[in-house]
Amino acid sequence: MKSPARGKARRGAVATRLATVADSPLRQVDPRVKLALSLGFSLTVMLPLAQIAAALALYALLLLWGRLLPLAARQVWRLKWVLLAIFVVDWLFVSLELAATITLRLTLLAGTFTLFFATTTPGELRLALEWLHVPYRYAFSVSLAFQSLTLLEEEWHALREAQQARGAWSPPASWRVLLAQLGDWVALSVPAAVMTTRRAWAMTEAAYARGFDSPHRRPYRRLTLTRLDWGLLALAVAGGALLLVWRLV
Amino acid sequence: MAASVCAEQVAFRYPQHGYGLAPVSLTARSGERVLITGPSGCGKSTLARCLTGLIPHLYRGELHGAVWLDGLRTTETPLWRLAERAGMVFQNPAAQLLATSVEEELIFGLENLGLPPATIRERLEAAVAQFGLEPLRQRAPQTLSGGEQQKVALAAIMARRPPVLVLDEPLSMLDGTAAATLVTEMAALARAGTAVMVCEHRAEYLSEWPELRTVRLGEPTNQRVNRAENWHGEGLASRPPFTLTVEGVTVRLGGRPVLRELSFSARGGEFLAIVGRNGVGKTTLLRALAGLQKYEGHIAVEDGRPVLGLVFQNAELQLFNASVREELRYRLPVVDETFYAYLLAGLGLTPYETTPPLLLSEGEKKRVALATVLLRQPRDGVLLDEPSLGQDAAHKAMLVRLARGLTAAGRLVVVTTHDLALAAQADRLLLLGPEGTTAAGPPAQLFRDPAPWARLGLWVPPWIQVPGVAD
Repeated sequence: MKSPARGKARRGAVATRLATVADSPLRQVDPRVKLALSLGFSLTVMLPLAQIAAALALYALLLLWGRLLPLAARQVWRLKWVLLAIFVVDWLFVSLELAATITLRLTLLAGTFTLFFATTTPGELRLALEWLHVPYRYAFSVSLAFQSLTLLEEEWHALREAQQARGAWSPPASWRVLLAQLGDWVALSVPAAVMTTRRAWAMTEAAYARGFDSPHRRPYRRLTLTRLDWGLLALAVAGGALLLVWRLV
Repeated sequence: MAASVCAEQVAFRYPQHGYGLAPVSLTARSGERVLITGPSGCGKSTLARCLTGLIPHLYRGELHGAVWLDGLRTTETPLWRLAERAGMVFQNPAAQLLATSVEEELIFGLENLGLPPATIRERLEAAVAQFGLEPLRQRAPQTLSGGEQQKVALAAIMARRPPVLVLDEPLSMLDGTAAATLVTEMAALARAGTAVMVCEHRAEYLSEWPELRTVRLGEPTNQRVNRAENWHGEGLASRPPFTLTVEGVTVRLGGRPVLRELSFSARGGEFLAIVGRNGVGKTTLLRALAGLQKYEGHIAVEDGRPVLGLVFQNAELQLFNASVREELRYRLPVVDETFYAYLLAGLGLTPYETTPPLLLSEGEKKRVALATVLLRQPRDGVLLDEPSLGQDAAHKAMLVRLARGLTAAGRLVVVTTHDLALAAQADRLLLLGPEGTTAAGPPAQLFRDPAPWARLGLWVPPWIQVPGVAD
């Protein structure tokens, strides 16, 4: 017999995600290079239909190598109804070509930063930002926010579980699942805001208790570029530059 | 010798509700051990924050008196400088872990000291070895059990080697063996010159420390009576007899088996305590019983799936309303006012009815979370994850009375706890090991037999009193 629990186990979900990230060869690539690659691919939205399709295919190949294609596909799939609506409206009111172009652009944008966010830890993001001369306290805050993003889903689960545990909420089990979920969003948004604020405060206090505001901080790790990093970086910069030149000229 | 910490008539009032800390003076010199005790809600955590400078740097409110750390007045010294002199381990470990791996968690505090990488590496390795964190090193702190998180939080502070260490209930989530180990480590730190100040309800573990100085804080500063009235299950509808059957239950988290083929049964009207080492899956078992956790196997009562309310180990997760009153009534269409009044009085919450739950002490929060569950009268009973956390002796006794009240009404009460004094009060004890149930039986029987405890690596402190067993 299987248990009645719905959704992923909270703690298990985190562990699984981290394991997936660790499996990708892109995990070994320098975060600055991954950021450049993501930005480079996002610039391809300026291209016309045929070239966008080619860029999308190229990006898909990169994700395939990085074992991230299923993850990116899931992210795009979540937007399926929005993408479909845009496609249909553009097709009906403008043209099929524009509908296809806009839809492909949005698809590309939706998945562009997967390679960065799915394979970069908050600590690496912080190091990359510091390398870009972002002051430490801001780099740290951004990395913490980035980390918290990955925890939001778990927090939401925790909140629903907390309600379920005291008998104030039951998982929707009828065809009105969407309606029930909408109701959850409204009813749980205030507690979610309270919980997020509380977590942020507790983290702030914990960080200050360990000398977060020290002017003498010295990083333990430093970023270094490997040959693969240099190669990918050159590709990203060259591709981005070509696109800009083509667009401006 | 100059005092490492000196507090002179320090008092604090929070702007939102006025409670905080009544005036108290204390000093601690290098190598001294100070135990700070007092009833739940008396301001131990507030005092800890005053001693480390977090109050007034991060908290608004009225601070009276003065605190000096190594001769530096906390109000006039930057927080990072104070953090170098005094490390604080907070009561709720889950809330103080910032990084994505245990290793990063330890590195964070060391980087802020401005140490060269080689020294950071050396201290990192030492802390990992000292706290036995090697198997957890690359794990995300959020995926650890409460006890494991507590160890990581302690390691992260101790790796910084501050001359003053303030620990807010450091033993609350640790099993007996881990608690005894930590007490030994704290004693070693004190011998090496660290001033160790501990706010702790499980003070028995510290009783053998030489030259332990105790500072006892008074009643809660709100000047209102915070005492539970005797409650024996009045207002609870009685439940016909039933049996909960757990058969071959296996739970995997992130592919890792946490519970393996676990089987046991419990009957309505029973007070069952589950004891085991940190990380053995006690919380996971409660989550499975409450229907929150996927599992393989069979969990049922005669009527089908059990309906059991669960109070989380971290009760904060269950609280978010503007007052205790609103918290209890949240999403409850009809409230039994008589039962509501019984509960508030029985759990010692009547004075806090209009107080925001999050402003209460950890022990009080735990009781509010329990009241939210009980007010809904869960059909089959309640599951309490570490209920004695943050509770003083009077409130622990209240918890036992409450459990008795529930069992008298035919409900099942399942408690997971590291507090063997509480476990000894149960009708039956279940010892949980990595391979499943190691032993089960009445506490009087199990406490007489050291073998199952030794198999689990659990230390039974000599001061545990089992009802009905003479010394």
